Amino acid sequence: MNAPLIEAVGLSKTFPGKGLFRKGKPVQAVKHIDASVARGEAVGVVGESGSGKSTLGRLMLGLMPVTEGTVRFDGKLMNEASRSEWRQLRKRMQIVFQDPYGSLDPRRRVGDQIADGMKIHRLLPAEQRRQRVAELLAKVGLDPSHAQRYPHEFSGGQRQRIGIARALSTGAEFLVADEPVSALDVSIQAQVIQLLSELRRDLGLAMLFISHDLPVVANLCDRVIVMYLGRVMEEGPAKHIFANPVHPYTRALLSATPMLDPEKRAKRILLQGDPPSPSNPPSGCVFRTRCAHARDACAEAVPELRPFGDGTARVACIRAEEIT
Amino acid sequence: MKKLWLPGSIVGLIILVAILAPLLGLMDPVRQDIANRLAAPMDGSPLGRDEFGRDVFSRLIWGARTSLGVAFASALIAGVIGTAFGLIGGWFRGWGEIFTVRSMDIILCFPPVLLALLVVTLMGPGAGTLILVLSVLYLPGFARVTYAEVLSARSLDYVEAVRALGAPTWRILFRTVLPNVAGPVLVQLSLAVASAVVLESGLSFLGLGVVPPSPSWGLMIRGARATMEQAPMLLLWPCAALTLTILAMNLLCDGLRDAVDPRTPATRRRIRVVDRLLPGLLPAAAPQTEAVLDVRNLTVEIATPRGAIRPVQGVSLQVFAGETLAVVGESGSGKSVTATTVMGLMPPIAQAVEGQAWLGGRDLLRLTEPELRALRGGPMAMVFQDPMSSLNPVHTVGAQVVEAIQAHQKISYSDAWKQAEQLFKRVGIADPVKRLRVFPHEMSGGMRQRVMIAMAIANRPKLLICDEPTTALDVTVQAQILDLLNALKRETGMGMIFITHSLGVVSEIADRVAVMYAGQVVEQGSVAEVFGNPLHPYTRALLEAVPEGDEPPVGIPGIVPQPHAFPVGCRFAPRCRFATPACEAAPLPLEEIRAGREVRCIRWHELTPTEAAA
Repeated sequence: MNAPLIEAVGLSKTFPGKGLFRKGKPVQAVKHIDASVARGEAVGVVGESGSGKSTLGRLMLGLMPVTEGTVRFDGKLMNEASRSEWRQLRKRMQIVFQDPYGSLDPRRRVGDQIADGMKIHRLLPAEQRRQRVAELLAKVGLDPSHAQRYPHEFSGGQRQRIGIARALSTGAEFLVADEPVSALDVSIQAQVIQLLSELRRDLGLAMLFISHDLPVVANLCDRVIVMYLGRVMEEGPAKHIFANPVHPYTRALLSATPMLDPEKRAKRILLQGDPPSPSNPPSGCVFRTRCAHARDACAEAVPELRPFGDGTARVACIRAEEIT
Repeated sequence: MKKLWLPGSIVGLIILVAILAPLLGLMDPVRQDIANRLAAPMDGSPLGRDEFGRDVFSRLIWGARTSLGVAFASALIAGVIGTAFGLIGGWFRGWGEIFTVRSMDIILCFPPVLLALLVVTLMGPGAGTLILVLSVLYLPGFARVTYAEVLSARSLDYVEAVRALGAPTWRILFRTVLPNVAGPVLVQLSLAVASAVVLESGLSFLGLGVVPPSPSWGLMIRGARATMEQAPMLLLWPCAALTLTILAMNLLCDGLRDAVDPRTPATRRRIRVVDRLLPGLLPAAAPQTEAVLDVRNLTVEIATPRGAIRPVQGVSLQVFAGETLAVVGESGSGKSVTATTVMGLMPPIAQAVEGQAWLGGRDLLRLTEPELRALRGGPMAMVFQDPMSSLNPVHTVGAQVVEAIQAHQKISYSDAWKQAEQLFKRVGIADPVKRLRVFPHEMSGGMRQRVMIAMAIANRPKLLICDEPTTALDVTVQAQILDLLNALKRETGMGMIFITHSLGVVSEIADRVAVMYAGQVVEQGSVAEVFGNPLHPYTRALLEAVPEGDEPPVGIPGIVPQPHAFPVGCRFAPRCRFATPACEAAPLPLEEIRAGREVRCIRWHELTPTEAAA
């Protein structure tokens, strides 16, 4: 794989706790995460709610300040970027949101919203901007005349396409897709997945694809990062991990995913209870409270993310060898 | 636009008259004529004269000038400054918030009349002082409203999207945030103008506002009060002017708020009497069936601005004891409408215009609301998608479960509480004694859904309808809930309808499946048959769209048609790759190819030769 376009090292994010009368416990949303995406590569981030996957995406885009760690974009350290350098960076990285209804301004025509980025960065004269909006709409499979309409005139899938067109308007090289298909129907979901993989191929986009839907990630992504309570449990090539999950959490997650084909269904590993609160994570391995393989040793130290087996995947579990 | 016309013209007329007052050739509003004191309407004075013999009509119009001038000026000043404060406080938080919003809170601590008294004492009465007092009084309202709106708007995705595009702060504030908070601010403006007119009159009445003899509505009321017994009509005119102005202002601002929002539908819904009555006019005999629920040929009609639509048409479903029927379809397929209609939970604009739904010899579609209420939560129960909004946040979950039990069983509170404990244990909630005393917000989504299930099975229902019960949950929690529902169904032998859009979930939980598209059932059969050998092209396409395995998922081109634009023939034909002209010619019947296996496609013989041969 070629050099990463964007690279995060030791990324942590802590949100201050909220409380009515006394200060609540701070919430560790993301803890010591390394992640990188190369040009033309799609990296999937999977995990359940509260795993910190969306926070990771926003940190990598610089949409919220990092508590600890660094993010480099195209060799440039983002933490140190000046205002004007940020303006340049903003053009090159974009986000696609989950909720197709909340992600578009209901009061402005979609054409104006797609043109916003170009206007802000003074990319093209007004005439050509209109031309470019039409091109973008066509590229995401919509009619160029739709630029004159308001968001409520579109269906969920169409709005998601508009969101993608907006993200591409400034010529972004890196795209964070935060659950872009979760709110869509299956038939529409497949359309958007098709569109995203075409765009990735045609434009050489680097993509961080955040999702809780493992089959979608397996299908679309080259590599996958499995997160739980702000930490990476396992990472490696997507196909490899879904075929041979090692970490007990990855296995439980895969077995819980409803599958059409009864033969594909792995033996259900039913996790007990709900994920613990991120403001009060268990000591040692954060997954140990729901893990069937947990031992006393798991509570002692945070397991290191280490290469496993032939080294294609990395896993954070001290008992990986015993349990496979 | 229609709603703007009437109040707009009234307000416009009032303002116009007020502005043109000097040109109307009215009598001098301050010229006294003691001879005609309290005179009845007379030539040149259509409304009579007041206690100093001044022309009432002229004073009314000149008074509008003062009253409205003061009201508009103060509301506008307060609106502009207050909105700016709210924007700054809500967007920047921190010090900005302290300077703008918190400082406003201090003003709120003063009683308004006291504040007015203070300022008037310091500056002397007059219109200028009034404007100052009123704008200071209305400032906190605007700042507060804007602040609250900005706080909720700043976390919205589309605001973050503009930030991600690199927009400077002023641009985000003025182009994105301000238009979206404008609605409530406009309403606040209408309230401020209206109440400023009243307050101006009130303060003038008290002698703290406009200085006599200049005309103002408040002063007119003040003067008329003294002579109420001799000339009661004098009181009527300024009061009528006040009322009319305020009503028109409020209507105008409501209309404005709707007009600036592109999402507002153009017209209102109308309910026809015939819609309410029709279902009761069709008698039907109870069928001989073993099914727990037998829905026959159900058609639901909803009156909309664009005419009546039928989001569910000719749907027949049967659920037997101890069986799970999955109803699967995309949004707009009518699967939830079918279930809510059966439960009798649709709003009155939706009517079952055809068909029956038999539950133990009674047709649910023809029961009265009290009869339905006796069934809901008893013989038939429902679990919804969002457990947070289905539970009451201000009661403990235990109290809510007890309420569900006591609604159908005549037992004491403590007995019901004991039953609730058993139920909690049954749905897998650890430590039920403690958990019963907990409020919904203290529970996780999965736990709340367990509480909902406990409430649903509390009175041992024969039929349980689950409307996307796991859609809002994480997959590991979803797996727990699916397991629980399966176990409950096995134990109690209830019939279950499971509505979902996830084919994977169907395959995990259901025995039979009905695939719905655009308000119709297009295919029905056992899960193994339908998924293993789909007969309808839609089912087939749906299965291909599921990302599973190495093949990339294949989307279905186009979108589900809207109910007001359903195609005449096969409703899937416009998106179907096998469609022929014959498909679109006429409505297709649901063909029963053998017991329990149905399909709505005229080409299934050709498309699935193996099935046709069998």
